[in-house]
Amino acid sequence: MQWVQVVVLGLLLGGVYAMMASGLTLLFGVMRVVNLAHAAFILVASYITYVLFENLALDPMVSLFVTLPLMFVMGVVLYLLLFPRLEDSPRYVEMTVLLTFGLALIVEGMLTFTFTGIFRSVRPEYATTSMNVGEIFLPTSQVYASLISFALLIGLWLVLRYTKTGTAIRATMQNRAAAQIVGVNVRRVSALAFGIGMALAGAAGSLLSFMFPFFPARHWQWIALLLALIVLGGMGSIKGAVIGALLLAVASAIVTFTIGPTWSPITFYLTLFVILLIRPQGLFGAKVRL
Amino acid sequence: MAVVEQREQLVEGSPGRKPGSRSRWIALSLTLALVLLFPAIAVPIFDSYTYVIQVGMLVLMWISMSSSWNILGGFAGYISLGHGVFFAVGGYSAGLALAHWGISPFWFLPLAGLAAMFVGFLAGLITLRTRGPAFIVATIAMLFLFLLWFDNWEFIGASSGLDLPLFEFPVRWLKVPFYYAMALSAIGAVYLSYRVAHSKFGLGLRAISQDETKAEVAGINTRWYKVWAFALSAIFIGTAGAIYGYSLTHLRPLTFFAIAVAARMVLMAIIGGRGTVAGPVLGAILIIGVNEFAVRQMGESALNIVFTGAILVVALLFFPEGIVGSLRRAGKLPAFLDWD
Repeated sequence: MQWVQVVVLGLLLGGVYAMMASGLTLLFGVMRVVNLAHAAFILVASYITYVLFENLALDPMVSLFVTLPLMFVMGVVLYLLLFPRLEDSPRYVEMTVLLTFGLALIVEGMLTFTFTGIFRSVRPEYATTSMNVGEIFLPTSQVYASLISFALLIGLWLVLRYTKTGTAIRATMQNRAAAQIVGVNVRRVSALAFGIGMALAGAAGSLLSFMFPFFPARHWQWIALLLALIVLGGMGSIKGAVIGALLLAVASAIVTFTIGPTWSPITFYLTLFVILLIRPQGLFGAKVRL
Repeated sequence: MAVVEQREQLVEGSPGRKPGSRSRWIALSLTLALVLLFPAIAVPIFDSYTYVIQVGMLVLMWISMSSSWNILGGFAGYISLGHGVFFAVGGYSAGLALAHWGISPFWFLPLAGLAAMFVGFLAGLITLRTRGPAFIVATIAMLFLFLLWFDNWEFIGASSGLDLPLFEFPVRWLKVPFYYAMALSAIGAVYLSYRVAHSKFGLGLRAISQDETKAEVAGINTRWYKVWAFALSAIFIGTAGAIYGYSLTHLRPLTFFAIAVAARMVLMAIIGGRGTVAGPVLGAILIIGVNEFAVRQMGESALNIVFTGAILVVALLFFPEGIVGSLRRAGKLPAFLDWD
């Protein structure tokens, strides 16, 4: 029964991780950009949620409706400001990694400057309660966060599958040049994808704010974790990111349970390392040579 | 050697033995003299002597680190965000030698460099199986793995750190030995960088950075070239770590592994000019100068990290070739800065 409990807790976390990672992997799929600032932007949304909760007592799940569109707009603007300039660079991929690295530093510094480095957390009522199903106990906050995450993921899937824009995005992911030939405005699609990725980061930030305490430098831990998830699933594959998230979340829950919480991050770093070395395309990766 | 000379003919704006080479040597001798005599010159000029020598030491430290990083990140084009690991390997190996066997880090310096090189060699063997963004991600993972390990390794004091015995020296001159040790490390790094740039090995690295497949076809053993570039790039980061750690007298994993440390090496090399010899040196002087000025004017604040990030973003967008690279392209590079 204990093991069921561990696995269930892992799966609940995995749902949230999946949503955090889906934005990152979407961005890589469409633009070949490894956005090292993704987790930093997640934190931005966490802090917005924190401010809204402290000042207006706005429920973090409601502030989703603020952070999600806000971050979408921010994403589109950032894309238009920064990326078109780099498109012709012969070292596009490395340049964008360094660029997002710089962005992450800027965001981290501004957050530290505004909110200082101390731990913050958002504590609505359901942050401390739990439900019991039989002998298994489920923290209410994680159940809510997981449900919302899966709802958003299904929404993302529907958009990608059934709308014209979604088809354009998927076409660009498969083959940028070919998409351009059949008349997809690749730059517009990239801007949209950046926006969607950031919107997902925004939603993730609101959810994380009541699950874990956070401080500005926390995002390095998150980004390493997210990179591990999407590398495992195959960079650019959303299905892969979801499966990678669930697998690794369960694995790290098991490590926490058997060895101790100090060592649970090692699951992510080691996976990241090993997968990059033995199967760089990941479990479901497209045949992109990195 | 013939190959190298042919290349010299090809590098734009620097044909063979050029007229400016005399001013290069004059500039070099002057710089060396300034570096070596600085602690003496500074005595009558500055009131806060210790502070000035400390800043001088920091500049030399970052010259050492960014020049080293540049061997892999600049010449070979493999961007590593994990080079903080070698800073830590140098710092901790020298620190442990002092704490457990009483060997002064100043004597231990060559071994600290070798230890870093050895770890760099192994790290290169593993991480260089990937390339492009996957390599960058792999180096970040390496950094975090090492941090986690050091944070939980009781023998080296885990996350609370390792205390070193104080260095016995008159207080007023306390920083001077550290300054000279760091100067040694910096000179070594720049010399290594110069030698690599002017060798067949360096030529091979540049070929790899431009097109790895073509380099391989041209008969370059790309794998070993890259692994050796990785190993060489670790040496003088290790020695810098050994000296810096000793000057702090207290070693904590985060001092060495902080992502900001790794970020700075990259930033300095890019600002100055990736893949040039003079670039990282210039970048280090500039960044540390601006940083110290900002800290003195406004105090230590989180805004420093914002500036680091902002400078990186602006440099990438507007002059990705850095100061040296952009000047060379415009044909305005003064001869004394042209070491390629």
